[in-house]
Amino acid sequence: MSIQSELKTRFNDAVIEVYVQKDGKPGVVVAPESLAEVCRFLHDSGFDHLSLISGTDRVEWLEVIYHIWSYTRKENVVLKVKLDRDKPVVDSVASVWRGANWMERETYDLVGIRFNGHPNLRRILLPDPWEGHPLRRDYDMSVDQYVYIDEDGKDVVTTDASKLLREEALHGKN
Amino acid sequence: MDSVDKDKVTVIDATKIDTSKYKREVKREDDAASQLKSTGLLNTLVYAKDRAEKRDQNVILALVDQVVNWGRLCSIWPVTSGLACCAIEMMSMSMGHYDIARFGSEVFRATPRQSDLLFVAGTVSKRMAPRLKRLYEQMPEPKWVIAVGSCAISGGPFVDSYAVLTGVDKIIPVDIYVPGCPPRPEAWLYSMIQLRKLIKEEGVGITWGLDK
Repeated sequence: MSIQSELKTRFNDAVIEVYVQKDGKPGVVVAPESLAEVCRFLHDSGFDHLSLISGTDRVEWLEVIYHIWSYTRKENVVLKVKLDRDKPVVDSVASVWRGANWMERETYDLVGIRFNGHPNLRRILLPDPWEGHPLRRDYDMSVDQYVYIDEDGKDVVTTDASKLLREEALHGKN
Repeated sequence: MDSVDKDKVTVIDATKIDTSKYKREVKREDDAASQLKSTGLLNTLVYAKDRAEKRDQNVILALVDQVVNWGRLCSIWPVTSGLACCAIEMMSMSMGHYDIARFGSEVFRATPRQSDLLFVAGTVSKRMAPRLKRLYEQMPEPKWVIAVGSCAISGGPFVDSYAVLTGVDKIIPVDIYVPGCPPRPEAWLYSMIQLRKLIKEEGVGITWGLDK
């Protein structure tokens, strides 16, 4: 019995769509409310390794993709949740797989998806005061943000280039 | 091929070869004058004297310059700092095969306060930029900067990125640019030679606080 039909029989309403990815992995689109439940079930039925969490901006909606691998069953499964663009909130799976912690932080940092129940949801790559989430389609690329270190040793983000750049670079001589 | 004619094969016993005629003769300068000549200092002094006369400069100051410059260019110590994949080439360059020790620069210091040269080897991200600037500011004068690789020169393939500084010369002054992605170790060594030429041309004594 494939993992797709297993999920389909167990979570009938939560499974929105079943498909096959281009690389042959079985894919399942899950309703966001029941994601934590599905993940807990997958973990208990042998899917012990979360390879990857990534976020995508599909213009109409936002997507979070979970690549999960089972060392015992030698099997992949890909979960997708589609989220509302204005309110992208989904349950955290950091309590299911410990490795989800930093990947969810990265997804929050770059795509701006909030994970309910995450132990430490802060930015991981960019400094904390950074404006916007850069991998969103509506991110403003025309504004350059610069980082400098203040007296306390903390990162400060500013659009004022004179805090960091040399005078020659500011006046276009370089 | 037929079987080897055993009579014609001469067996060489390696232990019986007279190696004395192959021995390299190492010249050793006994007296101080010829030792000094082998360092190349005298040649640079003659060069400095000619240059100063051509430019109507003070010959004695130019000679003092040249002694100082000679001391500096023979021991340029770089900072142990690498930002991205160019740093892998830097390791290769500093090891035995390419051997930056030929130019007296093999001592990579772990602190900027003991070093003269900063290799900006790799992509300068916006978050790393203030750290790199601080590293540069902590180095004592005189100091030189070599920007290595297309990322450090102009941002390279990341020029459109939100998080990458387009060129390290926006935050610190750069003396020499080495293009490549990443540059071959030979290109790094060529940049070292160019830097030595640059230092040789500097008039340190003239701006050596005498103008203040």
